[in-house]
Parts: sequence; structure tokens; C-alpha cells
Amino acid sequence: MSSAVATAGLVAAPAYVPPSAQFRRRLLWLGGLVAFLVLGGIYLKFKPWMLFTDFHHLVRLGQEMIPPNVALLWNKPALFKTIGETVAMSFLGTLVGGAAAFALAFVASRNTTPHPVVRAITRLFFGLERATPNFVVLLILFIAFGYGPFAAMIALAIGSVGLFGKLFADAIEQVDPCPCESVASVGATRLQVIRYAIIPQVLPSVVANGFYAFDVNLRAAIALGVYGGGGIGFELQLAMKVLRYPDVLALILFIIVLITVMERVSDLIRRRMLSGSDSLR
Amino acid sequence: MPAAPSAPVPAPSARPPRLPRRLRRPLLTALILGALIVVSAHLCQVRLDDLPGNLAKGFEVLRFFFPPDWSSLRELAGPALVTLLLAALATPLGVILSLFFGLAGARNLAPNWLRTISRTLIGVERALPEIIVLLLLVAALGVGPFPGVIALAIGSVGMLGKLFADAIEEVDPKVLESVACVGATRWQVIRHAVLPEVMPAFLANAIFRFEVNIRASVLLGAVGAGGIGLELSKAMSLLEYERAMMAVLVTLLLVFGAERISDFLRAKVMDGGRLA
Repeated sequence: MSSAVATAGLVAAPAYVPPSAQFRRRLLWLGGLVAFLVLGGIYLKFKPWMLFTDFHHLVRLGQEMIPPNVALLWNKPALFKTIGETVAMSFLGTLVGGAAAFALAFVASRNTTPHPVVRAITRLFFGLERATPNFVVLLILFIAFGYGPFAAMIALAIGSVGLFGKLFADAIEQVDPCPCESVASVGATRLQVIRYAIIPQVLPSVVANGFYAFDVNLRAAIALGVYGGGGIGFELQLAMKVLRYPDVLALILFIIVLITVMERVSDLIRRRMLSGSDSLR
Repeated sequence: MPAAPSAPVPAPSARPPRLPRRLRRPLLTALILGALIVVSAHLCQVRLDDLPGNLAKGFEVLRFFFPPDWSSLRELAGPALVTLLLAALATPLGVILSLFFGLAGARNLAPNWLRTISRTLIGVERALPEIIVLLLLVAALGVGPFPGVIALAIGSVGMLGKLFADAIEEVDPKVLESVACVGATRWQVIRHAVLPEVMPAFLANAIFRFEVNIRASVLLGAVGAGGIGLELSKAMSLLEYERAMMAVLVTLLLVFGAERISDFLRAKVMDGGRLA
């Protein structure tokens, strides 16, 4: 494409302008990617034209969902409880997981770990944990705890440990060593160094990441609800199973509002906490 | 602040500054936090008295998962490839969609009405978990790879579109003006001033999104997109725990592999733009 532009732009162009090495390299990458995707699409039996041939199905679904049954809001007071369940799951999951991650992070960072081997093991654990999708954890927890929000909350807590343990540990490894040394030089024990030199430095990032975790977990809580974890996700899946599409659309709207509002609220609280972070210490 | 003098017999009226100011805010925070914890624990049906028993049961259950059923590795290779391909097909589609939404959502390129529409759609999409998009598509089109790919592609727009639009808005206006003032049309400005500036970061984000999409496609597999997620949830419901463990291991391998590939490609893209 760009070679066409280039040749068109030249008035007295030489007969043949070979494309630049960079252009050829890019073309090679692009060609390889396209070939891979086409082969992959064939293997998957992915039929992009379905979007046009089956479009009437999408239209019919839309027609069945509209108008949304927003009346659920006042006809079904139990709805608020399910919404509360979803929020509670993500809140407790974040809190419990964050606390565990915070404790483990000190073991996993180079400057506070009791032993390098312990650090390597903890880091490996974080990595494995992050790679495990949290619905796998949920499926196992269902066997032990039964269906419901409690199992989902524990799954969220376990899921938070991997991600936030890594983030917290990275934050601890990046602290300024000077305060630690000065506190240690007046005779502080290892725990006192952590308490008076490291925690004050990492607390703002821990708080910010904690709120980020809450946002992530709220979405995950809805997804886990679909698998049987309770809350509004479960409600949505139920409405879908009994083909009450106006309810489905209403629930989707509630979910959008819920996530948007919670994002704003957590943003607000985070700003207030971080602006007054002196008192946090 | 001087502390209140401690009288031997405390008179109730003589202690207005009961708490030092320093302690008031943390205490209030702790109080609110405690109340929230109690309410949420009630809503989540947390039963602490059952917890030790259930945890013991959980560890008991974990024993069934070992040793993993290595013989099923061969059967699981196909589904693993499906999961990988779902993410691989969805990411470029999502990138193309995000390009449109990003260009339409940037203040310095798009008219105000278009920007509002694009930003609103991106915001709504970001608030909508992929699994809901997938459930809707499955309800309309039936199970299969098509709804899975589309759900993942739509899911990518929320993140990539926003990042792309934000990056475009941060392009130095002087660059845009200098290209425009030599007579470039709007598309030429985009092609020669905006894209070169934002492309490396955008590609790096897109590659990161591929990693996210791999995880998401495992998750979506269980509700109808197919792949390793479906195998896993089938094995769990058939109580074939050893096979399920193998599926978990294959998933771990996929996710770790995707992380490595994405790190490698990102380093390549960011290092002087040899790929970009």
C-alpha cells in the first residue's frame, strides 16, 4: 500500500523502486500472521459470514429482549439482595485475598525475604496461581463448600493472592533503601524496619492496587455467579435458562450501572484515602 | 495537642476531646470497614464454624485430582489448540474494531458527537463482562467458535479502544498541526502523524490483550465456546478428577506459554519498532 503511494508520488520515477527492507519485513510478518489466522479459522470451522447469514437470529433476540423488564427493580425486592451478594463477594474476596497477598509479599520480595529459596517458592506459587483461571478454583471449592456465594468469595480471595502478591512484592522491592538503613542503624529489628520504613513507603500503592483489585473482582464475581456462585450473575443465567429475555436485558442494564457506579465510588474513596495518606500511616 | 488532665474521678462533662485527633480518622475507617465486613459476611453466607471442616474436606477432595491422567494428554491437545485459536482470531478482530473506536473516540480527531457515542459504547463494553456477551450470542446463534471469537473481540474493544483513544489524545498537537498545515487531509494526518506516534504502544497493548484473551477463552469455553474450558468442566461434572487435573495442567501450560510469547513480542515491538 505504502509502496503504491510512494511510486505515485514520484514524478520522474525510476522504472522500478525496490521496496525497503523494513517494508518487506513488515509484509512478511503480516503475511505470516494472516496465513496463520486463515489456517486457524479453517481448523476452527470459524465462519465469519455467519454474522450476515444468521443476522436475523440476533435481530430476533433483540426483539425478544426489548422492552427490558425494569419493573424487576420494584417487583422483586430480592434482587437487591443478589446485587448485594455480588458486591459483598468481591469486597470480602479482595479484603481477604489482599491481606494474604500483603503478608506473602514480604516473603516474596528480595529485600525482606527470610531466605532466597523461600522467595523463589513464593514467586512460583504466585505465578501458578495467576495462571490458574479462578473458575477452576471455584469448581473445586464447590465440592468442599457447596454452591453459593461463600465458595465464590473464597475463589476470588485465592485469585487475588497471585495477582496482588506479585504487584505488592514488586512495590516492596522498589522501595528506597535509605529509610530502611537509617531505621536499622538505630537498632530496629527486621519487623520494626518493615513497620516503620517499608510499610509507609508501599502503603499508597497497596491501597491503589487494592481498589483496582476490587474492580477486577467485581467483574469476576459476576462471571463466577454464572457458574453457580450466586449473586446477580446467577440470577442472569437463571433468567436466560427460562428464556425470560426482558428480564435478561434488565439484569444486564443493572450490571452495567452497578459496575460503572462502583468504579466511580471506589475511585472517589481511593482519591480521598490517598490524599490523606498521612493519617493512614 | 495537650492531653486532657487525668482526674482521679472522671467527671462526665470534663472530657470533650475524648479522642486525640490523630486517632479519630483511623478509628472511623476501622468502624466503617468493620460494619462493611459484617454486612458482607452475612450476605455471603460466611459460616466460620463450618470452615475448618470444609477446608479439611477440600484437601480431601484435592487428593482425588492426583495423579493427573497423563493418557488423556493426547485427547486434550485438540481442545487446547481450539482455546489458543479462539484468542488468536479474536485479538486481531478486536484490534481492528478498537482502531475504529479509538479514532472515533479521540478529541483531537473526531467531532464531538462521534466522540461521545464512541466513548459511551466503550464505557458500556468495559462494564459488561465477556461472559454475558457470550451468553447472549450463544442464545442467538448456538454454541460454537463463532460466538466465542466475537465475544472475545468485543471484549477487547473496551480495553484497547479506550487505551488507543487516550493515546491519540495525548499526541502533541504541534505534530498534527504541522502535518495539517502543509495541506494534509484528515486521513493523511491520521496516517502520517497519529499512527506512527501511537502504533508501538498500541501494538504492545494488543499483544498484552492476547494474553488476557487466552485466559478469557478458557473461561468462556465452559459456557459454550468450546476448547479446554469445556473439557475441564465436562470432566468435573463427570467426576473424572484426574482428567480434570490434566486439563488444568494443560491450561497452565497455555497461559504460561502465552505469557512468554507475549513478553517476547512486546519486547520486539517496543525495542526500536523493528516490528512496528
